[in-house]
Amino acid sequence: MHTQRIGAIFEKDLKDFMKNMMLLMMPIAPILLSIMYSRLGDGEEIPISMLYIIVGVTFSAVTSSSMMTMMAEENEKKTLRGLMLSPASFMDIIIGKSLVVALITAVSLAISLFLMGIEPFLSAQAIIGLVLLFLFFLFLGIGIGLFAKSIASTSAYIMPVMFLFGFTPMIEFLALGEDSIAIKVADAFPIMQLINMHDTNSWVPIGVVALWTIGAALFTYICFKKERTDD
Amino acid sequence: MENAMKVTGLRKVFNQHTAIEDVSFNVKRGEIFGLLGPSGSGKTTTIKILTGELLQTSGDVKVLDFDIAFFKTPDFKSRIGILSDNSSLYDRLTVYDNLKLFCKLYDAPLEQIDVMLEEVNLKDARNKAVSKLSKGMKQRVLLAKALIHKPDLVFLDEPTSALDPGNIAHIHRGLQKLNEAGTTIFITTHDMEEATKLCDRVAFLDKGRIQELGNPNALRYKYSTHAFHVETFDDKRLVIENERENADEIKELIATGKVKSIQSDNPTLGQIFLKITGKELV
Ligand SMILES: Nc1ncnc2c1ncn2[C@@H]1O[C@H](COP(=O)(O)OP(=O)(O)OP(=O)(O)O)[C@@H](O)[C@H]1O
Ligand SMILES: [Mg+2]
Repeated sequence: MHTQRIGAIFEKDLKDFMKNMMLLMMPIAPILLSIMYSRLGDGEEIPISMLYIIVGVTFSAVTSSSMMTMMAEENEKKTLRGLMLSPASFMDIIIGKSLVVALITAVSLAISLFLMGIEPFLSAQAIIGLVLLFLFFLFLGIGIGLFAKSIASTSAYIMPVMFLFGFTPMIEFLALGEDSIAIKVADAFPIMQLINMHDTNSWVPIGVVALWTIGAALFTYICFKKERTDD
Repeated sequence: MENAMKVTGLRKVFNQHTAIEDVSFNVKRGEIFGLLGPSGSGKTTTIKILTGELLQTSGDVKVLDFDIAFFKTPDFKSRIGILSDNSSLYDRLTVYDNLKLFCKLYDAPLEQIDVMLEEVNLKDARNKAVSKLSKGMKQRVLLAKALIHKPDLVFLDEPTSALDPGNIAHIHRGLQKLNEAGTTIFITTHDMEEATKLCDRVAFLDKGRIQELGNPNALRYKYSTHAFHVETFDDKRLVIENERENADEIKELIATGKVKSIQSDNPTLGQIFLKITGKELV
């Protein structure tokens, strides 16, 4: 790790992000959604599950999606090769990009939650939950970005991430009944755990989300080993 | 340290396909060394091994006294410069921002950006987005990128392939200046004129092996038949061997005012390559 090189990657990727229309649309999506929701509710308190849908949309559509798109573009346009031949390590490159994604995610999420009602998130427990959830989605994005060879292919990968992990609370709308296996399984998913946390104030959900994050980190590590060892 | 590079018995097999069989050569410090060969002969593969991007199947490689085990270290990487065959730039960013990135990655002073832009004749394009540049302009930005940290040794994989003659001449002067300042240059090219003009030594790569190696002019002499090609005013072409007993014949031709032109046989590198390998170098 080398701070100057990480800084150089960060600066480059932030500038590039700002000039990329496709990427710029991503952080705007959850903000638009929040504006819509906050209008619909007319003054009533917005349910926690609704807030977490916004969180899920932000982390899947901004965090995972822009991370994998940025990495896939470096692969597709062969610019990654130039970076790899430079003194920057692969870690420097990933950290530089992650910081850009973290910044954009934070701005997008903060605006969205201000619009919807940020109070439920103003506790240490909720913030730790959000940070772990962010890392979970970031690792998924990096892992997929490692093997996505083109920008076009990322849209196929982003769908399952969004529907499984981003929109999990929407399973309620499917009217499956309390006892359905799908609902039971979904309850173990990270966002559902965090929603439960707000009801129970228990720290167990944080532990479960931490496990998911470790799992995602492992997935990233496996992708890294697979992609970086065969030339 | 006299050698910038030492390559012994280099071999690379890509799943059953042998790209290079047995390649050995040394590159001396401060020289311009050209690796010539037809398409698919393994020039890019050789460069990739020498720069740590690919691992060889067998053989020994030493670059700037670094063992291959150290090719991934920042120490090694910051001492070499690479213009690879399909490197590319960040399209949406300006020329300046692209070079700034590499300046910082290589820990070079930012003043180098304008120095290099001057060097490759691109001062006016400084603040243009790369997507707005022509192919030749992009190639020149890539060259600036390869040289921005003042490496001791540069690898140039067909650096002038997309350029027009004016820019080629400009780049050649730049490379010669760089070389005079002590930089060792390893270059691959299809352009025989370029190789003859620039290189102190060239190696011909074919069938996975170095088929011939030497100074371009020395090679031209070595493969010359040493005959004189005479063209007369009555449109006859004579080939006269460079032998003592032919002196009178040449003297006679000149004395009778018949000679339109007289040239000694000096094959081009392309002709020599054809003679050795039976292949055109295109
Ligand atoms: N990654 C790879 N996997 C499999 N085969 C490869 C790979 N890279 C190169 N080759 C093969 O190795 C041989 C040498 O390729 P290389 O790119 O080194 O040639 P070259 O001399 O640079 O050609 P050109 O002048 O067209 O650039 C070719 O037959 C090519 O198909
Ligand atoms: Mg090549």
